[in-house]
Amino acid sequence: MDGMGKGTVTPLASLFPVEESQKAAKRVQDTIAEKEKELDHLRVFIADNNNLINLVQKLPEELHHDIMVPFGKAAFFPGRLIHTNEFLVLLGEGYYADRTSKQTIEVLRRRGKSLESQVNSLEAIIKDHKAEASFFIATASEAAGGLVEIREDYVEENPSKQDLKSGPLKQDVSGLAGAERETTSVDDKEFARMMARLDELEEEERAAERGNLDDENEGAISDFDEISYQRPSDNNLQNSEDIQRRMALKQTNDIATKFPKEHKYQDDMADHFGSLALQSQVRELSEGKTMAKNLKNSDASEMSTIYPEEKIVHATNTSKAEVQYQASRPSDDSQKQASTSSTVGHADHTQRNSRKEDSTSSQVGCQTSEPSFDSRRAFTGSIIEHAENLPKTSGEQNSSSSLVSGSQPSKPVSRFKMQRR
Amino acid sequence: MASSAALREAQRELENKANDLSKLQKDIAKNHQVRKKYTIQLGENELVLKELDLLREGANIYKLIGPVLVKQDLAEANANVRKRIEYISAELKRLDATLQDLEEKQNSKKEAILKSQQKIQSLQAGKGKA
Repeated sequence: MDGMGKGTVTPLASLFPVEESQKAAKRVQDTIAEKEKELDHLRVFIADNNNLINLVQKLPEELHHDIMVPFGKAAFFPGRLIHTNEFLVLLGEGYYADRTSKQTIEVLRRRGKSLESQVNSLEAIIKDHKAEASFFIATASEAAGGLVEIREDYVEENPSKQDLKSGPLKQDVSGLAGAERETTSVDDKEFARMMARLDELEEEERAAERGNLDDENEGAISDFDEISYQRPSDNNLQNSEDIQRRMALKQTNDIATKFPKEHKYQDDMADHFGSLALQSQVRELSEGKTMAKNLKNSDASEMSTIYPEEKIVHATNTSKAEVQYQASRPSDDSQKQASTSSTVGHADHTQRNSRKEDSTSSQVGCQTSEPSFDSRRAFTGSIIEHAENLPKTSGEQNSSSSLVSGSQPSKPVSRFKMQRR
Repeated sequence: MASSAALREAQRELENKANDLSKLQKDIAKNHQVRKKYTIQLGENELVLKELDLLREGANIYKLIGPVLVKQDLAEANANVRKRIEYISAELKRLDATLQDLEEKQNSKKEAILKSQQKIQSLQAGKGKA
């Protein structure tokens, strides 16, 4: 499939020099070591605190205790511990307070809780660092292994850009396609499979869509909102648009209803995408359908490995932020989109998407056939080229400009593709 | 030769700027440390305030002043702790402002260094040609 593309082949080593990645990995590991030391420290404190609580609990059991009292540095003398229920507790900053045993225990427990919260936050930080370190190490090994990043212009039916990893580093690399492993051949097969499936589903969808278009709109929306709302909270949507979109979604449900009720997407992602896509579509285009369609189309076209990414791609058109949305969001952007598979790059999503790839691809297949969407189901599949449906349902499609332009024709090719040129 | 003298001068300039930059960076590091200390103190004081609030009226409070534990009043202790918290917050804000300042200076110094480096490179290229 490289045949038609004019592309650039860049050895990964030139983008992410081996030594530098290794150095970066080492630096992150050092930070990790430091944080772990602090973590140990805190754990010791917590243990001490618990011991103290036990001791304080035991003391008031007797009126007085016979003990050996330390005297200076190296001597003890026998003595008695009296007033066993009175404790002078250090509150901090040189302040002491007289408290009973029970009150002291409360104070200690509160301190223990704050210590634990500190430990938790530290652990979270360590986890992030570890993820970063593993990324660096992987990049270093890849670069050393002579992996190559191949970038090609988007050619119909042959998505050549495949994003494997989009890590923070990728951002430097125009934020787009990540290194491409030599899985293109595999991708091709997968892609072919996807396309075949898509075609089938598309047929079904077309048939179904005729009937569904008008009815379903409203119902799904409510669910959608939930779904969409959940997602956004996770992602930092930079765009308030998303929120608006969601609202908008309520208004125009076409798309929502279209979405795969039937499909059994369990992925949140998928749902998420779908919902997002829907929403955004609804809002942005005010046609709703077109977006979905676009997304669907585009997704369809890209399928295979790119599939998950496509969603992002649509979105990514613009930026990473879109990606966070997980692709459906970008639908707004997708309008402009066609973005290019390159956008897929964004790391988080790609990775996640790739995970879901399989499921989504199947979903996509279903989706295409089914125009109606289930509010719960994410669009994921909506790649379906509803070219013909569009005119029917939305009628607004044209507006989306980029999206619709040229994609109107009912070709099975996703609209997305058309735009990409 | 004039060009080599100019070159040497440019290099000396670069060194000076580099020194300034490292000084700035040390200042920034110190600022960070002081800020950390203050932040910890602020946290501690807030904890104390919380505990004091939980104390019943009439409970004995003592303050450690040197080797002496001095009995204090609940109201007095509350007021003192609050004042300290305010003071520390003000200090933190001041430090933040200084930090901003220092960072800006550092950035401008970096740019200046870059320019000097470019100058040196051009001089050297010129010398090489001649």
